[in-house]
Amino acid sequence: MARRGIPEINAGSMADIAFLLLIFFLVTTTMDKDQAYVRSIPKKIETDQVQIPPPIEERNICAIKANALNQLMFREEIMTNPDEISDRLIEFYTTNEKKNDPANNFPMYSHITKSEIDAGLRAAEKDAEDTENTPGAMPEIIDYKWNIVGEWETKKQAIELYGKNSLPEIHGQAHVRIEIQKATEYKLFAKIQSEIEEAIFELRDGAAMDVFGESYGTITRRYGMDKSVEDKEKLALLKILYPDRFIEVAPKK
Amino acid sequence: MSKFRKEEKKAAPGVNTSSLPDIVFMLLFFFMVATTSKESDPSVKVTQPEGVRTTDMTPYKQRSEIDFMYVGKPLNPARAAKYAEMGMEYLLFMDNVAQSTPDELYNVTAIRRWKLDKFDAKPERMSEPIEGVITCIKADEGAPSGIIFDIRKELQEINALTVAYAVRDNGNI
Repeated sequence: MARRGIPEINAGSMADIAFLLLIFFLVTTTMDKDQAYVRSIPKKIETDQVQIPPPIEERNICAIKANALNQLMFREEIMTNPDEISDRLIEFYTTNEKKNDPANNFPMYSHITKSEIDAGLRAAEKDAEDTENTPGAMPEIIDYKWNIVGEWETKKQAIELYGKNSLPEIHGQAHVRIEIQKATEYKLFAKIQSEIEEAIFELRDGAAMDVFGESYGTITRRYGMDKSVEDKEKLALLKILYPDRFIEVAPKK
Repeated sequence: MSKFRKEEKKAAPGVNTSSLPDIVFMLLFFFMVATTSKESDPSVKVTQPEGVRTTDMTPYKQRSEIDFMYVGKPLNPARAAKYAEMGMEYLLFMDNVAQSTPDELYNVTAIRRWKLDKFDAKPERMSEPIEGVITCIKADEGAPSGIIFDIRKELQEINALTVAYAVRDNGNI
């Protein structure tokens, strides 16, 4: 029999295979993104006189403590499962939201109306102008007064966006305080941060769905991309409803 | 018979490879767009803890408004043993520091100089003041948190007031 030449393999479908591979990798690859929790450090105050801060009511403090053995304490109660932190935080924020009950140990809410905000804004503006016209006024104090005016303006915008008669506001001193020790593992510290972030997200997400009918995540993502004024105001309102006031106490031991 | 022989001789047509460059270019563009380059390889081992609802640092990286530092055990076992003897298991690594001696590197007091140097090296058009330039701390999950606060204290001294604690986001699982 005569030998036949080996026929060439038809490689016409190679491109299909390559595309398939490409698309497979495209879909399955996750780029290692840098994810983090952003926090600000309080500004250092250079002053000779040490001022004793006014006492804070216990109901306004939400202390999360962790010791060198990685044991947790939430509002002076021992906590074994760190996953509970976010639920307890939501409780801290929302218990008195609808109705203040002086008997419990959670921060009080105030419901401020539109006319009260207008009056507050006028008073703050007058105060700032008066301070500015006072001879020898310190520039820091003038700045501080104008900041207060700015806060009132934000509130005014917020209540218009909120669309209700009054704006619920948690007590100005209510805050979350993280107290750790030097030897506390970073893993637990990060877990506490994660739980706090989760609680704040859930609270703001709930409010965003109620007021705007879209999720908090959607708004923040969109704001990150196009920085629109509308989204900025929405986020400002959510921030007034559920402020993120965290204090990270420097460990002493 | 002669008909059959004729068909046997006919070679298979060659593959048209004119679309191959397209494929290669597509791959190239994909990787070009999706990759952000790492500033440096840390010489400490960092296993990040997990967390949810994190902030993506990519936009800050693109605007170079972020500097990274790492906290972990040294990768070099001999050096790790040496430092462990001195009671310093976890060490600090800052990127792009002129590394004259390794011992000089793991020094908390060098943070100020490092951060200010990095700030001076930033492009002129950057409007962000030093208060807003993020210092991202990538710490190992076993590291003691005290070191975070040592870093914070140093940053406070030079008015670099924004920090970020890096974690691995497990929110999508």
